[in-house]
Amino acid sequence: MTGNFLKTTVLAAGLAGWGLSALAASPSLELVAPLADYKIYVAENTAQLVADTTGLVDAIKAGDVEGAKALFAATRTSYEKIEPIAELFADLDVSIDARADDYEKGEADPAFTGFHRIEYGLWVEGSTDGIQDYADGLLADVTDLDSRIAALTFPPDAVVGGAAALMEEVAATKISGEEDRYSRTDLWDFDANFAGAKEIYELLKPLLAEGDSAFTAKVDGNFGTVEEVLAKYRTEDGGFASYEELSGSDRALLSAKVNTLAEDLSTLEAKLGLG
Amino acid sequence: MARTNRTLLNLCVAGSALLAAAGGGAFWYAVQQTADRPAAAATRVTVSAGACTPNTLTLPGGTRRFEIVNASDRPIEWEILDGVMVVAERENIAPGFHQQMEVPLQPGDYDITCGLLSNPRGHLHVTVSEEASAAAANVTLKDFLGPLSEYRVYLVLESRKAVQAAEALRAAIAANDLPAAQAAWRAARLPYRHVEPLAYRLSDLENAIDPSAAYLAGREADPGFTGYHRIEYGLFAEESTQGLAPAADQLVADLETLGARLKEMTLTPELLMSLPGAMAGQLAEAQIPAGEDAYAGDDLPEFAASLEGIRKIAGLLGPMLEGADPALGTEIGDALGRAEAGLAKLRGADGGYPPYGSVPQEARDALARDMAALQAGFDRIEPAIGMN
Repeated sequence: MTGNFLKTTVLAAGLAGWGLSALAASPSLELVAPLADYKIYVAENTAQLVADTTGLVDAIKAGDVEGAKALFAATRTSYEKIEPIAELFADLDVSIDARADDYEKGEADPAFTGFHRIEYGLWVEGSTDGIQDYADGLLADVTDLDSRIAALTFPPDAVVGGAAALMEEVAATKISGEEDRYSRTDLWDFDANFAGAKEIYELLKPLLAEGDSAFTAKVDGNFGTVEEVLAKYRTEDGGFASYEELSGSDRALLSAKVNTLAEDLSTLEAKLGLG
Repeated sequence: MARTNRTLLNLCVAGSALLAAAGGGAFWYAVQQTADRPAAAATRVTVSAGACTPNTLTLPGGTRRFEIVNASDRPIEWEILDGVMVVAERENIAPGFHQQMEVPLQPGDYDITCGLLSNPRGHLHVTVSEEASAAAANVTLKDFLGPLSEYRVYLVLESRKAVQAAEALRAAIAANDLPAAQAAWRAARLPYRHVEPLAYRLSDLENAIDPSAAYLAGREADPGFTGYHRIEYGLFAEESTQGLAPAADQLVADLETLGARLKEMTLTPELLMSLPGAMAGQLAEAQIPAGEDAYAGDDLPEFAASLEGIRKIAGLLGPMLEGADPALGTEIGDALGRAEAGLAKLRGADGGYPPYGSVPQEARDALARDMAALQAGFDRIEPAIGMN
């Protein structure tokens, strides 16, 4: 076993010398500042999430369907930005953000709760009557998330890997428009997912080797393209048009860019010695 | 998570690290490698429409490889959960496909997810093994990144609170409201106490923010008598807010500078390991015997706040100590508990702390002994973790 391992290692070290010379051997203390700044970013977002959810819940409690619909997409953005960390809490991620197709009985499943159950109530059922308890539950859950995150020492891998994780999730399960299927507010989520991934990338960028300018130029360019595409769908009030208005060519472009970003950002861990 | 060619990358990183070590690389490089040893054959878990097969796994601790086969008709994600926390996950495995992942596992009982959320979860029992113990004992710089970052967050947030509390104090002074200013002064000290283990090392700021009249040639009349205790002297000895506005302005400004300086400091493993012992020692040798708040007598709540700041660091070091020297971890936990209990015992019937002047000598001696014991425990952390 040991002999085999050493052979493999020598081979791998040889490869590293050729194709992967940018890999850092070991993480650096320089990671401490960006990791800390990222936690502060996440904490600010969970505080915003609690505040915005309170407003959404108030509207639902007041029976104001249109008012609640107007707040729904914006409220979700603070969650979507910080998904790499929020998803570490499996129970809350399920109760806050699971989709109907994660359940055997779909929308009728009593365990189907959170944002998407509320979305279903507002857009499909067209009423706040059936979602009063889900609204209370959502507020309790995001409040719990806020305090759990405050107490959490962020795992460096989850932060550095989080940029790629967000992009991969968009590529695999969101770009198709399945996330916000009742409200068609998917573009709000995309924008927040990109912002969350870019935040991590921007915080880590100063740590990348100077020889990595080709990498940063490519990633910057792809984020830029994504922003340009999304900007076309911005509405006057700062929101986004319906997912249904996303043209086929723009969807294909977003899809291509998000896949490339996922692939490129997935090298950050190795570049920063966390591989 | 994106993990294309993850195994290859791991091996490459391991290789580079070995080369770095061979080339005289730092201590930290040399000690990190055993955890990256490739695991034996993958353990296969098949996820069908309703369950995992097998549904219960028992594996020795260490780095284990899993092969997840999606035999259901929907895309799945597969997760290993420790309580509610996700330890590792593999997202979006398409129907009919299989994916591998490698996970370093410490002994314990975990759940595994099996497709639909409504499906029952499977169980993963990880048993004690030499590999897992060696991995846990093998503390590396990477293990410190999370704790150091968390401490930096704590410094930033607590120094923000210190500024806000000083602003409230300044407002009460400006309003000429003595009781409100006295209460605000007491509250303003607590966040400062939380960051003091590092703040007191910035001597220029420390001399402006927290000097004691006893150390100044002209005592209370000395122009160098500024900061918290100058304001304390006005509010509690002279019992007036008069003339304190400039000192309060300066305190707010100095605390803002402190926050910026703390944020810019380079935190290292050695520094983090040294802070709690040094703070406990300062309490044992100076603050508890001599008293800190000569005029307000509010020492006990401040000592409690200091212990909170110490506990924060102890909590950050705890997981690493748990692997490197569990007995020392327990010892420090006990010593911290004793120091907190010793302090809590002095609370009055109303739950509040009495003025320090009324605390008898033997009670002060007992507190000092608790802090000295705590310091002795903390001082053994660095050799315990560094030995590997």
